[in-house]
Amino acid sequence: MTDATTSSLPSATPVSGKGSLMQQDARTRKRNAAETRFKAYGIAAITIGMLMLLVLVYNIVSRGTGAFQQTFVTLEVALPAEKLDKNGTRNLDDIKKVSTFGYTPLLRDAFEAKVADKSIETELSGKEMAGILSAGAAAQLRDFVLADPTVIGSTVAFEFLASSRVDGYLKSRVSRDSIANDKNISAEQLDFVDQLTASGAIEKRFNLAFITGADSSDARPEAAGMGVSMMGSLFMMLVVLALALPIGVAASIYLEEFAPKNWLTDIIEVNISNLAAVPSIVFGILGLAVFINYMHLPTSAPLVGGLVLTLMTLPTIIISTRASLKAVPPSIRDAALGVGASKMQSVFHHVLPLAAPGILTGTIIGLAQALGETAPLLLIGMVGFIASNPPDSIASGLLDPNSAMPAQIYEWAKRADPAFYERAWGGIIILLLFLVTMNTIAVILRRRFERRW
Amino acid sequence: MNDMRILERDVDTNTIKIAARGVQVYYGDNHAIKDVDVDIQDKTVTAFIGPSGCGKSTFLRCLNRMNDTIDICRVQGDIHIDGEDIYDKRVDPVQLRAKVGMVFQKPNPFPKSIYDNVAYGPRIHGLAKNKAELDEIVENALRRAAIWNEVKDRLTAPGTGLSGGQQQRLCIARAVATEPEVLLMDEPCSALDPIATAQVEELIDELRQNYSVVIVTHSMQQAARVSQKTAFFHLGNLVEYGETGNIFTNPEDPRTESYITGRIG
Repeated sequence: MTDATTSSLPSATPVSGKGSLMQQDARTRKRNAAETRFKAYGIAAITIGMLMLLVLVYNIVSRGTGAFQQTFVTLEVALPAEKLDKNGTRNLDDIKKVSTFGYTPLLRDAFEAKVADKSIETELSGKEMAGILSAGAAAQLRDFVLADPTVIGSTVAFEFLASSRVDGYLKSRVSRDSIANDKNISAEQLDFVDQLTASGAIEKRFNLAFITGADSSDARPEAAGMGVSMMGSLFMMLVVLALALPIGVAASIYLEEFAPKNWLTDIIEVNISNLAAVPSIVFGILGLAVFINYMHLPTSAPLVGGLVLTLMTLPTIIISTRASLKAVPPSIRDAALGVGASKMQSVFHHVLPLAAPGILTGTIIGLAQALGETAPLLLIGMVGFIASNPPDSIASGLLDPNSAMPAQIYEWAKRADPAFYERAWGGIIILLLFLVTMNTIAVILRRRFERRW
Repeated sequence: MNDMRILERDVDTNTIKIAARGVQVYYGDNHAIKDVDVDIQDKTVTAFIGPSGCGKSTFLRCLNRMNDTIDICRVQGDIHIDGEDIYDKRVDPVQLRAKVGMVFQKPNPFPKSIYDNVAYGPRIHGLAKNKAELDEIVENALRRAAIWNEVKDRLTAPGTGLSGGQQQRLCIARAVATEPEVLLMDEPCSALDPIATAQVEELIDELRQNYSVVIVTHSMQQAARVSQKTAFFHLGNLVEYGETGNIFTNPEDPRTESYITGRIG
């Protein structure tokens, strides 16, 4: 109807039945307002969620990063032969007779030499000066000598852990006010620490031992580490992976592809969903009753922990595997059957490879869930106190008493000394890093192997 | 115009490949196929036509026991292929399906390479002794499905990357690669555009020389173009079965006539 040569648009016609498009009618305005409100609710909800997450991350990072740093005191310790090896034979058995008490005076002497060398003015006695070191310093010295007796007679430079109070002082956790009633450290000792810090003998730096080391007793929070409990968690995850993945996948394939649909499989299906919702502590008490009391497996062993977590993870893996098997279009099964593949060939050649990314994702998420689980571990005693460092403490792997990362964190949070509190937060950082890594791998796998059909 | 083509074509064999007697199919309580008797000839294209839900696809899927995969489906009656009862207890449906190939409504290539799609059947049935033989089988199948020229340079490309019509021809190649004797096609052109449809129809006509082809179709024109025999299904009954020319020009049953003239369906 329009003339091709006309360049101007027809002018607006008077308002007809439906009204002008230039003005919103009341109904449209109301609908648009409702939409705007709904969007605002959504944005508000997301904002609140993100804020909470920020607060959480900020808290964890600000409280936990301290655990990765530790205060070290550098000392040159003379190892006189007349004290450590009276016979002069360098016989290891003789040297072993000198206990850590025999090494303590060496530390005092080393401090006195240090004070003289750096010309530091202090009223402290040698014993008080040595009080700024970790209680394990003498043992560290003794271990060093026993490892290599030839060092006797020489002077060796050592880096000792400072006591947790000194460490706290350098991290501003401990102040002169807070130690007013503290028998472990005095204001004079803190002055001495200041002087040593100024002379460079005390410094705070990254502490690998927190990540690789073992737990320590209540008196030495500065020496506690996550290493052993990490190994405990690793062993448990290996058990979970070795049991839950094959059992879960086999069960899902059978239920989804082969099982007849009748009341029995319906009951099984409902109960798998129910099991996924059972509180983890119930699995813990089951593990205690069955694996430890009935089967007499050792307490605190990663094997038992792994078995309990397997029970807990199985429903998750079965549900996610069945979901990813269901997501494979039936046309693929028809295609395979149509060219004469058997049921099993169609499942293993076509359905399973297509479902694999989903199965892997579900498994990793299940493992991540199991990694962070604490309650069932408390019930089966997976909170072993393992103070010796890794190679010895985990020699027989699955059957040695051990702890797990979340259980270790719980243990530290329970202890009275605030220095352990810092380590609990540090442990949470490590645990979260593991979880984030695992979830990232799950997401990457899903993206990488996602196929369209 | 179509009628001219139908008249030109002769049914050149009278060997009966598939014989069905008193076939009843139930989906739970639903009686989907009611007492169907039909003889399908070898080296012939037989078309099943009828309105939606009339049971033509269901009956087709009985012929290679694909209905076995549906739990609630029950089949009664006798279906014989080459004189053997395919619902006999001794018959392994897997062996049957190697003999009776199937092409589905929606192109459903495996998400694998074009080569692997075609080679899958021969591989699981052990039709090739070595790689060279397998290559030959794949090439022949692709040639017979009239898609060789389009894909010969990209056999390793994924089958799902082809266009709809190419995918369907790939599925036909996959079906013929296992050397079936009967080829069942369940609305093979319903997801294709007219050009791809024409290619597939031409292909069906060529396949007739080697196979007995049974095709389910919604399109009466398609049935008229490609088939020599036509069966009209309505509400689970086989209403009329005969020479395609007769069914379309001179139907005996008033229901067939109504359907063909567009009054029902």
